[in-house]
Amino acid sequence: MELDPHTFDREFDLAELLAGMPLARMAQILATLLDGEFRLVTVGGQLMLGRAEPFAQPGRAAIRHDLETLGHLESASAGEARLSAAAGMVELVLQLSARYRMAADLHTETVQEDYAALQHQLAALKESEARYKTLSEELEERVRQQVETLETAQRQLYQAEKLASIGQLAAGVAHEINNPIGFIRSNLSTAQQYVRNLERLAALMKAGDMAQFQAVWNEADMAFVTEDFAALLGESVAGADRVAKIVADLKGFSNVDQTEEEIVNLNDNLRFACNVVAGQIKDKAELVLELGGLPRILCLPGHLNQVFLNLLLNAVQSLPDQGRIKVCSDVLNNEIRIRISDNGCGIPEGNLDRIFDPFFTTHEVGSGTGLGLTVCRDIVQAHGGRIGVESKAGAGTTFTVYLPIG
Amino acid sequence: MAEIDEVNRKITLKLVYYGPAQSGKTTNLMRLHDLLAPDLKGEVMTLETQNDRTLFFDLLPLGFRTPSGWLVKLKLFTVPGQVAHDATRKAVLSRADGVVFVADSQRAQSVNNAEAFQNLEENVQRVGLDFASVPLVVQFNKRDLPEAQILSEEEVRARWAQAPWPLVFSSALIGEGVKETFARLLEQVYPVLDKFCALQESHGVDRQSFVAAVTGG
Repeated sequence: MELDPHTFDREFDLAELLAGMPLARMAQILATLLDGEFRLVTVGGQLMLGRAEPFAQPGRAAIRHDLETLGHLESASAGEARLSAAAGMVELVLQLSARYRMAADLHTETVQEDYAALQHQLAALKESEARYKTLSEELEERVRQQVETLETAQRQLYQAEKLASIGQLAAGVAHEINNPIGFIRSNLSTAQQYVRNLERLAALMKAGDMAQFQAVWNEADMAFVTEDFAALLGESVAGADRVAKIVADLKGFSNVDQTEEEIVNLNDNLRFACNVVAGQIKDKAELVLELGGLPRILCLPGHLNQVFLNLLLNAVQSLPDQGRIKVCSDVLNNEIRIRISDNGCGIPEGNLDRIFDPFFTTHEVGSGTGLGLTVCRDIVQAHGGRIGVESKAGAGTTFTVYLPIG
Repeated sequence: MAEIDEVNRKITLKLVYYGPAQSGKTTNLMRLHDLLAPDLKGEVMTLETQNDRTLFFDLLPLGFRTPSGWLVKLKLFTVPGQVAHDATRKAVLSRADGVVFVADSQRAQSVNNAEAFQNLEENVQRVGLDFASVPLVVQFNKRDLPEAQILSEEEVRARWAQAPWPLVFSSALIGEGVKETFARLLEQVYPVLDKFCALQESHGVDRQSFVAAVTGG
């Protein structure tokens, strides 16, 4: 919006004051008032209205405005009084015109002023908007960085949790392997003794000293040795098989990071997890499996093994001196339902809502990450399932895992 | 700033009556019209009013001829005092050669006076004039009101003791102090004008004759 920079209080000349007037009508009226032709001229003699040719000897009346004479009204026909009255009328008209122009120009000036002020405000607003936009972008970037940092920390904690459960697993496995290794070792020492006896007897046999041979045979109680030798070898083979089976089971955990899905019967995974913890609970608890027939499902077995192991280890930790852990599986409403119950110390009601929250732990600082159940829940949810808990302080806890079929 | 028109041999001055609403700016102009007797005196042109309050401005033109034959024309304006008309106030104040600040002597109006004076200072700067050098007279009007209602002259003088501007007490309603206020302004305007257009040297008008010519003696 550009407006003429007219100042409202400027000096007006005759031409400007007459501009926009109905001049033809004015000329008619003046001609009637003055009984004939007339001339309205500026002080400089320029014709503004009326007859073009000058009069020979006209009567003249000054047209004054704002202390000054702006022009003259000339007439050859009108008397002095009439001419002066007509000039007064023209002055009144010019006065009104001046009033209108001043008001209009002042109005224009103030509108321009207001507009400039608005423009200024608009510019300030735009600038402020740009500042906020920049700030918002910076904030977004900072949030993104924070989220990245948090995600990294979370991944590290998950990894730590995984390693912690693997550590517990390793302790269990070591115990489990130590047992057969112990008796195999002992059997083998006995077998070495038996072999030495056989070497002595073989030497006597070669020399043909049958009397001596018989004496040594009896002394070494070789009748028992031959029987026992076979038995301890058989026992050792069974022990070695047991170790082999544990090692085979362990493979189920060696692939916790495996991201390929497999079709499995979850009962196998439950048995396996029970085997792993069995070593830890042998003296302390009775482990009862009530596994119903399950359809095979597509899942990440390594991940689910970790869930079951975590839940079982939690159960073991909750047990008093003597306790019972029950593992049940069945199908309910097109879902596989797995329940792991203990009759241990239970979870106080106030904590029940929070046990799946990250870093919530009732253990002492340093003895757990507080992520075990969080990881369980995340894994189950990643399989499209859900996990629930029922507990009564002092009576025991049941964790229930539901996994969709198909 | 004064306008010099070499062609029409004319010097035009603009003097502005400023102040809070209803302090008596228009009344000052009306009384000046009655009291002054210069060579040339126009009518007071009131542009628009609402309930007797100025919306745009009032204008009183005065003038005299210098010995050199030039016309010196003074246009006296009032501004609308109401706070809402600030843009109009600013436009009227533009290009002013001198200002009379008409204050209301009533105790209750002290805050309005202060705000209006601050507004004057701001607007003077906004229209590109130098507040320190613009000719200014402060008039405390309405001295005709009961003493209990108005600040005493001592109080006013004490408050304005540090200010450099002439202080005049007036009652525009009965015409007291109005002409004196105007004369004090003219005395201040003269040196600036003389410097600007060599009034004394080229036109033969000294300070005393300038004031006398405008006021009519």
